[in-house]
Amino acid sequence: MTDATHIPAGESLERLQCQWCQSMNEKAALACRACGAPLDIRNLVSESGWREAPRIRDMTEIHFSSSTCQVEGEIVPAAEINLGPGDSIFFEHHVMLWKDENVPMTILQLAGGMKRAFAGMPFIISVATGPGRIAFSRDATGELVVLPLHPGMELDVREHAFLLCSHQIGYSFVRIKGLTNILFGGQGMYMDRFITTGAPGLLILHGYGNVFERQLRPGESIMVEPGAFLYKDSSVTMQVEFQKLGTGFFGGTNMSLARMTGPGRVGIQSMYVHHRSE
Amino acid sequence: MFCENCGARVTDGGSFCAACGSRVKHEAAAPPMPAPAMPAPHAPPALVVHTAATKCSWCGAAIDAAIANCPRCGAALNLHGAVTRSGWAELPGRKDMAKLQFGNSFCQIEGKYVPVADMNLAPEDSVYFAHHVLLWKDPEVNITTMSLTGGWKRLLAGMPLIMTQAQGPGHIAFSKDDPGELIPVPLQPRQSLDVREHLFLAATGHVQYDWNQTGIWFRTRSGNDTETHYPVGMFMDRFSAPQTPGLLLLHAGGNVFVRDLPPGQNILVKPTALIFKDPAVQMHLHFERPSSMFSSWGYWSNRYLWLRLIGPGRVAVQSVFERLEGEGGNISSFSYATEQRW
Repeated sequence: MTDATHIPAGESLERLQCQWCQSMNEKAALACRACGAPLDIRNLVSESGWREAPRIRDMTEIHFSSSTCQVEGEIVPAAEINLGPGDSIFFEHHVMLWKDENVPMTILQLAGGMKRAFAGMPFIISVATGPGRIAFSRDATGELVVLPLHPGMELDVREHAFLLCSHQIGYSFVRIKGLTNILFGGQGMYMDRFITTGAPGLLILHGYGNVFERQLRPGESIMVEPGAFLYKDSSVTMQVEFQKLGTGFFGGTNMSLARMTGPGRVGIQSMYVHHRSE
Repeated sequence: MFCENCGARVTDGGSFCAACGSRVKHEAAAPPMPAPAMPAPHAPPALVVHTAATKCSWCGAAIDAAIANCPRCGAALNLHGAVTRSGWAELPGRKDMAKLQFGNSFCQIEGKYVPVADMNLAPEDSVYFAHHVLLWKDPEVNITTMSLTGGWKRLLAGMPLIMTQAQGPGHIAFSKDDPGELIPVPLQPRQSLDVREHLFLAATGHVQYDWNQTGIWFRTRSGNDTETHYPVGMFMDRFSAPQTPGLLLLHAGGNVFVRDLPPGQNILVKPTALIFKDPAVQMHLHFERPSSMFSSWGYWSNRYLWLRLIGPGRVAVQSVFERLEGEGGNISSFSYATEQRW
């Protein structure tokens, strides 16, 4: 089975749609097959329109291609992947938790050859190919955000926030020039970009603290603390604006906020631990 | 249909939720699945206080027995407050998305690990906050620096602590960079609270801010160098509601426990674990060490350094605390302290 939305012939058509990823599930299912969101718990949407990322139950299994991902733990959840033969996933080196010895690893060839390093190691994207198991987690309390990507989707993600991505999805990164000097002391800030090609794929992020998503209407704006930005549809624009705070007394401090303008989804995290490329 | 309390799906016709056991209110027609990520139509109803049938165990507000959450502090009323055998009460269970009211404004508390305070400000209401806790806001909400008298001239991690103010109408949300709990403290008129510095998240415009020296310190000496340490901070924030009630939001690391000390009762706590205390609660240092050691304070670096809190009044502690600086040094002098040798 390659597509979670596929309905086998001869089965009852009574289906339950996942409110997080819109995949169809069997009526008796407790968790979405494609994203792990509990199906028996109502969405939590704040009055201001932010929706909490679904809290995935411990040990929930998610299916993609011929592989499965089991989500383990709740405070710093780990994603344990059981790769089917021929399936592969790519990820950054700092999120690896453990793997079977015989799972082959390679390096994803990136275009451009940009100079980008992280945590003292050159920035490389590794690829693991099935069959075998490999598990991932990050370094602080947070939530896994499971985003099944359908053809035609294009998602921008805060750098180093992605945990893993299935091989059907194209990866590139963009340097955000405008933000550079302002936010992070002159260091560059990159944004990862995930683009689906012909086939659907799976992208898993780790957001610090709690994760909230909001759908912006065309032209609708929201001001977000830049450190809270987690992901957005590429149709959403992001521009940094400042507000000069303080009188001469404090010597003046700038507060910068990112203006995000729709249409599209915006995801934020309620805590941030900034890791930057060097 | 879904349980009002925990959100779990309830089988049609059932009277109790299988997940949390609370009674299910049957609606005339079960609402359809809500559309994802659509803002709820906004029509804040005025807070109607019916005959006070019950009292919120956390903040003491008189509330209608029919509602599930205390409208002042968001505590879930149908959950039994967990109190340890020694008398510490856990911060009451709060339903995700619990809604609090202050003035004509509302505050929703969202999330579990690093909760967010999402304020919907009425045009006449304002909140103030330290600028680094801002998470997001509507573009229309204006932020200005508060004109403060000296008090805010304090340092937060080497950066000036700038107090900023947001005026309604509109949405603005706050969170802190720390897994823990958000503590709503509704302040009744003429009520004050002493809060350890840097735990403050936001307060409504009516709440007055002041600060006092804690008067709790000790000096360590190493060679000719003397260093002064402030185990509960050099200053303590005091928040007061003068005539009108106000809402104070704090954020503490880990879990939060509160107890009400009767007059004269003592408790020893880790100094860096203190979150807040009623102003009536007195505090001073307390040392504990084995009697077999040399008599000088300075000799043994493995002493225990406590903060003694003396009732009457409430005290709150957090389960995650910073390391106490200088605890193992040679203590040469200190503010008033008691001592016990085993």
